[in-house]
Amino acid sequence: MTTLISGTNIGRSIDRLEARDKVTGRVEYVHHLRLPGMLYGKILRANVPHARIKSIDVSAAAAVPGVYRVVTIDDIRTVIPHPYYGPAFHDQPILADGKVRFAGEPVAVVLAENKRVADEALGLISVEYEELPAVYDEVEAMTSPVIVHDELRPASTFPDLAHLKGRRGTNVALDYHLLRGDPSAAFQTADHVFEHTFHTQPVMHTPMEPFVAVADASDGRLTLHTASQGPSFVRIEIARLLGWPENRVRVKVPFLGGGFGAKLYIKLEALVTALSLLVERPVKVACTMEEQFFVVTRHPCTIAIKSGVTRDGRIVARTCNIVWNGGAYADIGPRVTQKAGLTAAGPYDIDNVEINSYAVYTNRPPAGALRGFGAPQTAWAYERHTDMIANALGIDRLAFRHKNLLRDGRPQASGTIMQDTALDTVLDRAAALIDWNQAFDRGTGRIRRGRGIAVSFKGITTPTTSVAIVNLYGDGSCGLYVGTVDMGQGSDTVLAQIAAETLNMDAASIRVIHPDTDVTPYDMGTLGSRSTFHMGTAVRLAAEDANAKIAALARELNVPPNSNIPLQELLRRKYGMQAGNIIGVGSFIPGYEKPDANGQSRKATPFWGVGAAAAEVEVDTETGQYTITKLINIADVGVAINPRMVVAQLSGAAIMQLGFTTTEDMLFHEGQLTNGSLADYKIPTLLDLPQKFINEFIASRQQDGPYGAKGAGEVTTLALSPAIGSALADAIGANLPNLPLTPESVFQALKAIPQNAQPGE
Amino acid sequence: MASFELVEPLSLSEAFQQLDGGDPAIRPIGGGTALMLMMKSQLFRPIRLVSLRKLTPGLSHVSWSDDGAEMRVGAMTTFAELEHSDEIYRRLPVIRQTMKTLANVRVRNVASVGGNLAHGDPHLDLPPVWIALGAHAVIAGPGGQRIVPVEDLYLGYYETIISQNEIITELRVPVRPGWCATYVKVTTRAAHDWPALSLAISAKLTSRHVDELRLVLSAAVDKPVRLTSAEGVLRGSDIDDAVLKQAGDAAIAEIDMESDSRGSADYKRHLLGVHLARAMRALPEGQAA
Amino acid sequence: MRSLGNDVTTPRFIKFTLNGRAVATHVMPHESLVDVLTERFDLRGARESCGQGLCGCCTVVVNGKAVSGCLSLAWLIDGATITTVEGLATGASLSVVQQAFIDTGAFQCGFCTPGFILMVTQLLETYPDPDDEHIRHYLAGNLCRCSAYPEIVQAVRLAADRRKKEWVAS
Repeated sequence: MTTLISGTNIGRSIDRLEARDKVTGRVEYVHHLRLPGMLYGKILRANVPHARIKSIDVSAAAAVPGVYRVVTIDDIRTVIPHPYYGPAFHDQPILADGKVRFAGEPVAVVLAENKRVADEALGLISVEYEELPAVYDEVEAMTSPVIVHDELRPASTFPDLAHLKGRRGTNVALDYHLLRGDPSAAFQTADHVFEHTFHTQPVMHTPMEPFVAVADASDGRLTLHTASQGPSFVRIEIARLLGWPENRVRVKVPFLGGGFGAKLYIKLEALVTALSLLVERPVKVACTMEEQFFVVTRHPCTIAIKSGVTRDGRIVARTCNIVWNGGAYADIGPRVTQKAGLTAAGPYDIDNVEINSYAVYTNRPPAGALRGFGAPQTAWAYERHTDMIANALGIDRLAFRHKNLLRDGRPQASGTIMQDTALDTVLDRAAALIDWNQAFDRGTGRIRRGRGIAVSFKGITTPTTSVAIVNLYGDGSCGLYVGTVDMGQGSDTVLAQIAAETLNMDAASIRVIHPDTDVTPYDMGTLGSRSTFHMGTAVRLAAEDANAKIAALARELNVPPNSNIPLQELLRRKYGMQAGNIIGVGSFIPGYEKPDANGQSRKATPFWGVGAAAAEVEVDTETGQYTITKLINIADVGVAINPRMVVAQLSGAAIMQLGFTTTEDMLFHEGQLTNGSLADYKIPTLLDLPQKFINEFIASRQQDGPYGAKGAGEVTTLALSPAIGSALADAIGANLPNLPLTPESVFQALKAIPQNAQPGE
Repeated sequence: MASFELVEPLSLSEAFQQLDGGDPAIRPIGGGTALMLMMKSQLFRPIRLVSLRKLTPGLSHVSWSDDGAEMRVGAMTTFAELEHSDEIYRRLPVIRQTMKTLANVRVRNVASVGGNLAHGDPHLDLPPVWIALGAHAVIAGPGGQRIVPVEDLYLGYYETIISQNEIITELRVPVRPGWCATYVKVTTRAAHDWPALSLAISAKLTSRHVDELRLVLSAAVDKPVRLTSAEGVLRGSDIDDAVLKQAGDAAIAEIDMESDSRGSADYKRHLLGVHLARAMRALPEGQAA
Repeated sequence: MRSLGNDVTTPRFIKFTLNGRAVATHVMPHESLVDVLTERFDLRGARESCGQGLCGCCTVVVNGKAVSGCLSLAWLIDGATITTVEGLATGASLSVVQQAFIDTGAFQCGFCTPGFILMVTQLLETYPDPDDEHIRHYLAGNLCRCSAYPEIVQAVRLAADRRKKEWVAS
């Protein structure tokens, strides 16, 4: 175990701690887990979007040789009397309860020792449905007589939703409002008023490891092995469902084969728990790639944005109305509605702002958290809106942004004063890399070129708690116990680097203990770019605590200060042999002030995620096909603890967002998903990399972040879509208000241009 | 998927016996990729699969007639073998051109020429190319064999003229001196995708004059079709903007297209006109022959 | 009338070479190669993800050719030579490709990584000096949702360079 001079772990691009396991295929995922006596569960899903269940006949399926049992909600109730879960609303039944609310909803489960037998038996379950009218569109659902949930059932996690309890006759699960100044008065005095509406489409995370969970209930205790980003939440929610104390529920998470926000809150965990309790054997339920589309998606939305602008281009007022299509179950949608609502007016200095953000139920698969947490959708709207205003006023799109950008010392729409704001810096860097200030030839023939630029920001989920334990063993080696889940973002490595820096060790020598709620302490969840800042701070505090305890031990042993006696020796002196531990604990909850009724707060977020993007495109105006010739993504991540891994996060999030911008779209026909497989739902491949693709973080420091760091996982999802939309609009002279930006949508936009202005003819 | 019987006959007559029974749940299997996809999505539930890989004499071969005018490909020859053959590249470069965007390397390593021909999915890349080249399929059955133009193999979406107990054993492709060919795969979503429409063209040109040609459209239709009206416009004409526009219009008029996830009917019709013109223009400049 | 759960045929006893060792097992006709490698041999490297042969997570090398394990019937691999990612390292030494992936950080969650590593190994054996166009086309059938694509291209170039110099991982 090597001791290093302080200051050599931060800013070092060390290899991931688990690198060797990942390239040899030995790394552990729940995907592979098999336990003795385990049964496989296969889910029967509803094939109608909205219906009452009149009857379910499982007899034929149950009679198939090899089928152990067929389970419906009535069976679930015998082990979980109130089988409804959800982080914001307890609205989601473990299996459909008298009603199905979306096509794809789980209705029954076949349990068998053999997956194939379980699959075959599914076809023998017969369900009688009485179909009901359905509502799919979010705006329509706001006022539709078709109601998805008879009654709202807020959970205690959102105390501010308590007033909704028992509310009936509405599909609006939650509404968020922000008011600053007097927008309607300000609109009267504005020289120009611009109003635009935008739409975004439903997409899905499609992690390569599909959802999977294994429950093993015995002797009044439960162990859950689950591919989850939030083991502490799972433990608390499952304990609540069972009416058990937390210490009888153990949740273990190895590595995840991707998460991106999909594997949060409760997905399969309640189901496998109930199944295992019913059959008193371990039960595994694993989704196929196709089934993932029915578990959780990203909110499509309709965003109407209106701005009052002076003739020289200052925005004096802005109103945003956002309707989020939450699907049939709320999941964490209400939080998306609030958090994305907070930044829906954009990173702009506007005195008069009104934001109305609505989470709405429809008969579609549930929408929840996906990298960006609603911010990419709102950025699509406000940045495209910004371009359209700039173009209308004849002001350069970059100059217009600079004129209105939020700066340090100025209040954001929530009233929180901006601090450590790098908005100007990232925007200017993106502009420089795309040569914005140089002349640009758009072409006059069939091929047209365009460029676009965008800047965006995001508030961080807060207030949330992280606890970490640093455990130094008898020989001085170190175990780091955290509930943070490494889903590929490299949290094991970065947290080890932070601990190592504080403990004066080599990061590669630290053993990171993976989430096991019997062993690792509480963490709110691995989400929303919070882990580096929140858990990183907890880790640093835990390491400092350990250092303090080592110092105390040294004093206890009458060791003179600065004698640099290794811990191993100190412990040997205390215990007479290699024995004992030094255990340091750190816990962290960032500062936060709850917003008032007008969404105003002095500290709405502990830090901002800030990113800018610039793009150049080439359009074949005869077909609408386009190529992204340049894509630049610039982020502010504070200090990059592991620079190479940070850049990989920036480019990885960008490519994922590229898919959401250009090719990904869940297509529905009368409530049925028609393209729920990777053959027809196209995610980016190596061929989709832009020709020139630059991803950078700026030199920066987050004052109160661990060694100056903050989150990096989502920042490049924010400004990318509008940068490309902007470039396309620039090339073809027409605006595309909706995502995804397909060749056909470009072609249709070109066709709609009045003939005498048509490019390429 | 439910279990089934998997047999590996050693001779064609044994294979015919195994295929006999009139049950559509008994099918031959080549590379297996297309069938496995159908089995896993429960679109096809076999009770018996008849593998052709142990047949003697084998069905994996590529041979040439003495005068080089015909290539004969055994039905179990894999796409990878076609792709990597320098001989094929020399004489029919359109094959390697088509392989470049066909599925992926792993599929090409196992997919068989015969299995692919017999599948009947109009989105497949090779069948329209074989049709453009004027190829014939040798179909063997217990009563003997028949030789059918690939063009006549398909009745509709996933429907072929191959009977229950018949197997494609060979594909015969003419090599016509002085002809050139090209394959255009038009994708409208991701770069790597099933085509929204595909065009296979084989033509004999004298400078910009079209002496002869065969035009095949697939993917946007239920089965690959010859664009005979468009051929009529182009045959005997010089390739210029006016002729190409006329040919495009003729092609659009002779085809019924439907909207789907890869594009509206209007858009696909438009793309047909554009890509037909572009492909024809590219031909005289030494495109894949 | 087919009876579910009653298999209509007896299992076949197959013998093949797996990562250099002679092995044998019983298989049923419907079992895929990935099923057998996972359940009989506890190999974790090949994973079924998309289930359609599009993502490459299930890549296995059979008789020197990369195939989609989820679309390959195990019944038909009697007598074959199979290599999985577990067979690439020799003792403590990772293969050139494996080491290049580590050195360029060409993975994040790692789920698609064995598939990519096997494909890249095949790529370099067939085309020792591929250009970027070639690399992208060859690997277009492998999906990475974490989108480590830029780093993967770097890894291919690094591995190609090292192979040429007969570099050996220490």
